Amino acid sequence: MEDNIALELKDVSVAYGAEPTVRNVSMKFKKNQISALIGASGSGKSTLLRSINRMNDGLATVTGQILFHDVDINRPKVNVYKVRQEIGMVFQQPTPFPMSIYENVIYGLRLTGEKDRRVLDQRVEESLKHAALWDEVKDRLKASALSLSGGQQQRLCIARTLATKPEIILMDEPTSALDPISTTQIEATMMELKKDYTIIIVTHNMQQASRASDWTAFMHQGNLIEFNQTTEIFMNPHEQATNDYLNGKFG
Amino acid sequence: MDPQKSNRLATGVILCFAAIVSLIVLSLVLYLLATGLPHVSWHFLTSAASSFTAGGGIRDQLFNSFYLVILTLLVSVPLSLGAAIYLSEYAPKNRLTSILRLAIEVLSSLPSVVVGLFGYLVFVLQWKMDFSLLAGALALTIINLPLLTRSCETALSQVPFLQRQAGLGLGMAKWRVTTRIMVPAALPGIMTGAILSAGRIFGEAAALIYTAGQSSINVSYSNWNPFSPTSFLNPMRPAETLAVHIWKLNTEGLVPDATAVSAGAAAVLIIAILAFNLLARFVGGLVAKHFRQ
Repeated sequence: MEDNIALELKDVSVAYGAEPTVRNVSMKFKKNQISALIGASGSGKSTLLRSINRMNDGLATVTGQILFHDVDINRPKVNVYKVRQEIGMVFQQPTPFPMSIYENVIYGLRLTGEKDRRVLDQRVEESLKHAALWDEVKDRLKASALSLSGGQQQRLCIARTLATKPEIILMDEPTSALDPISTTQIEATMMELKKDYTIIIVTHNMQQASRASDWTAFMHQGNLIEFNQTTEIFMNPHEQATNDYLNGKFG
Repeated sequence: MDPQKSNRLATGVILCFAAIVSLIVLSLVLYLLATGLPHVSWHFLTSAASSFTAGGGIRDQLFNSFYLVILTLLVSVPLSLGAAIYLSEYAPKNRLTSILRLAIEVLSSLPSVVVGLFGYLVFVLQWKMDFSLLAGALALTIINLPLLTRSCETALSQVPFLQRQAGLGLGMAKWRVTTRIMVPAALPGIMTGAILSAGRIFGEAAALIYTAGQSSINVSYSNWNPFSPTSFLNPMRPAETLAVHIWKLNTEGLVPDATAVSAGAAAVLIIAILAFNLLARFVGGLVAKHFRQ
């Protein structure tokens, strides 16, 4: 695998029943870059994203190869729990657990058996700073995570994902439940995060893809139509379908 | 008829039905309290029942009722929670699990006297438990399981799907997501269900007549060794509960003040059940609030 590639999909198809929702997608995600998956509802972008860290296990059949560090993580024998710690996920809606802010952040870390208070404290601070939430919550780490605003909760969920030190962060429409100000904050956070992480984001908001991503993949009816640098996709799309979608002719 | 009029009429009819239901419940409770409360005194609550003379109390029966509820919950909460976790988190949708669900529903419609006789045959005779608190607790568990399983399952299924996903997304194993995220999040509902079921089994009589027995042996409330036959904590002793006591007073009561004692006991019983219901609301709200803060 080339050095600057974080993840490679080879011929990935996903089917919930007989009919595939995602068809033969092959693509390479570059390290320390933000890649956006765009497309209309039902284009298969979320399904594809959720297949990457095996969240579709038991829900859908995923075929093809998903190469991560030269290992096909789509094989049945792979430890999915390890995969999910290396490839974290942020969901459409904030999903804080009903416990304190501090406990939320170190929840994934506790799984690895880490008990040293100093390590935990340090990781909480580090993760919250990375997620740009530290200044707002540092004086009330013991408060319930549910007392935070929606935008803060989503950044907390990002911090929680960061605490397990993943390499890749998958974001499934992370701002769809948030107001514009919170959305801007999350996007700014993503820009900071790409220094250390590779981000793959699903969004139905084209402006968000054009603002925040380096690479954009356009999906249509389960097929990957076009995958290129974001500026290229938006300024000079090569495919007619991409052009039609970007111009609001469907979707 | 114009919409406004028909709406007013419909509202009136619905209000009427609601009023009838509340009136029946209220008048029953008030009647029980009005006839019973005058006989309730500290002496009544803290003295032993008498066999032939007037002036007996309900001390042992009252204690037995509470103790039996605790024993029953100790058995039925883990069982119900386990079954609910299986049904809501693990059970595949196939014929076996739908038979299981059906079995639980059938169990909930069994008459309690049938459960009592079943308990008599199996627990009392077959398993040689004799008339005992434990046999009573097992019989009550059979009555309690279906509704408690249902309320635990409902509580678990009301936890947002995304919470589950979030746990899995962090690399947690399914069992861990269940015990660390699902069950704590469902705890208010589970506790409310458990306490409400406590109120239900507190008033149960038919299932206990042939299992926990109709007699109370003299026990010592200072003997804390549960294995001693004279200890109040001994689960293998026969124990008449408040509800059974009321039934017995009304069928074969030999004391001259049977009516008064039974009325007093009924008042205490209904107050306890009301208390269980209020407690369920209070505790459920408290736990939910604790999680929000």
